[in-house]
Amino acid sequence: MKPKNSFFSLRGQVIYWCAAVLLILTAFPFFWMVSTSFKPLREIFVSPPNFLPKNFTLANFVQLFEQTRFLIYFRNSVFVSTLTVIFTMAIATAGAYSLTRFRFYGREKIASLILFTYMFAPIMIIIPFYVLIKRIGIANTHLALILAYTAFCLPFSLWLLRAFFQSIPLVLEEAALVDGATRFRAVFHVILPLALPGIIATAIFTFILAWNDYIFVRILITSDNLKTLSVGIADLYNATVIDWGMIMSGGMLITIPVLVFFIFIQRYLIAGWGAGAVKG
Amino acid sequence: MKASSQKMGIILITPSVFLICALLVYPVLYGVWLSFFKKHSFFPDQRFVGLANYLYLLKDSEFWMSLWYGTYYSVSTIVLQIVVGLIAALILNEAFRGRNIVRGVVLFPYMIPTVVAIILWKWLLNNQFGLVNYLLLAVGIIDDPLSWMGKDHIMTSLIIISVWEFFPFVVLSVLARLQTIPPVLYEAAKVDGAGAWSRFIHVTLPQLRNVLFVVILLRSIWMFTKFDTVWLLTQGGGAEKYIRTLPVFAYMRTFMYYQAGLGSTLAVIMFGILIASTTIYFKMFRREEGI
Repeated sequence: MKPKNSFFSLRGQVIYWCAAVLLILTAFPFFWMVSTSFKPLREIFVSPPNFLPKNFTLANFVQLFEQTRFLIYFRNSVFVSTLTVIFTMAIATAGAYSLTRFRFYGREKIASLILFTYMFAPIMIIIPFYVLIKRIGIANTHLALILAYTAFCLPFSLWLLRAFFQSIPLVLEEAALVDGATRFRAVFHVILPLALPGIIATAIFTFILAWNDYIFVRILITSDNLKTLSVGIADLYNATVIDWGMIMSGGMLITIPVLVFFIFIQRYLIAGWGAGAVKG
Repeated sequence: MKASSQKMGIILITPSVFLICALLVYPVLYGVWLSFFKKHSFFPDQRFVGLANYLYLLKDSEFWMSLWYGTYYSVSTIVLQIVVGLIAALILNEAFRGRNIVRGVVLFPYMIPTVVAIILWKWLLNNQFGLVNYLLLAVGIIDDPLSWMGKDHIMTSLIIISVWEFFPFVVLSVLARLQTIPPVLYEAAKVDGAGAWSRFIHVTLPQLRNVLFVVILLRSIWMFTKFDTVWLLTQGGGAEKYIRTLPVFAYMRTFMYYQAGLGSTLAVIMFGILIASTTIYFKMFRREEGI
């Protein structure tokens, strides 16, 4: 552990000022969103602007809940993201375990395939994907969204979980097997508990990816009742009169779940396996 | 034991491989197939046209414009992201009070939904009531409010927003690597009389070489194919065509002009450009020890 830089040294001064600038550049837009969402309409447009609301109000939130389908969008987002996480994690955990614990023909080829598809971006597949989904007849359903997200999250989930399983020594499992445990028991009582932090972190990344997505919902969903939050909020913006207070309150509410989850996994991120953990 | 265990391994990986092939690889191949057809986006009828879509695009000035905008957008955002991200990571690798909080907050922009990043910045950059114009006017940098979403500045706005949204990815990756550089290397350099700058050039940068290789690769692919940030910024303004990058162009062709064949052709062209440039990139920079 390096000693802390003193605030009073020249080097310390430079570091503290740079850190302050960095903090303001990243955090201030969020602060401004929160501040705007608690301001009444006339205060939003006042000049010079008030940094904190003078007449604190919840009117924007009330309006958001009563005049838009925000709550329906929210429910849809929770539903789709949660199911995506369940499917992706079930499939990817099994896959990553297989890739690290068994030897079979084509294993390395599969690993390369995963790495290759990890680099895919939605726009590269969305057009043929849409045509196919329409042909199967599941366009405009949540199933189409869940399939798309599961497919899209699989490569990076597999990649992350594979790294996690690789870091768990084989010896532990072998010891359990020698002691007479079945493979099933060895996995459930020895490996999964050790891999749990990695599994949770991967699940959260998957959740965030599904929660944040815009393009798949825009293209695959046409009924207003099935839309999720990203598209719902974007459509509020496209309405004729832009109600900044309401939009900011909506933006704040869809950001909160993401940030709560993010704070939860932050320590894993910074602890060292950050690279390749996320995509987009 | 051996044979059954092999079977078990294959059973466990099958669902992953099946889904990846069916929902990611197959669509790409199907897209190549579609690019040889004139196909309506909603109706099933399609007509084989050979290379007509490709030839049409070669002569289409809109296509060349979008290729130019897309390249300009990706190159400038990548360079800025790397520079800003590298500097931020170096700062966050120093020891100071409140470091963990700053480390967390710096990653926020990357984690939030893109739509939130866009509405935030549209509000900050609003030409009448936006805080940015207010501050610039108050300080006296500008005399009249800038029209950030107008045709002269919309590309600048897009670049600022994109760098803000995506530089944390660089911070994350570089910071993780910085923490694993053995302090001994710096001490040795210090003993040899190397100053801060020279330690950065001769110790830090070589150690970051591999992580920067991967980060630049991934960021290039994802910036070149970035759709939602660009598309959402174009909404509700008249200057849409000044940031019409390749992904936006492909989207519009497919879902506004209903030309799924032409849209697929554009996706295939993007894919081709990416494969060609990554191959060159690997040939030029990849070292023996791999990534």
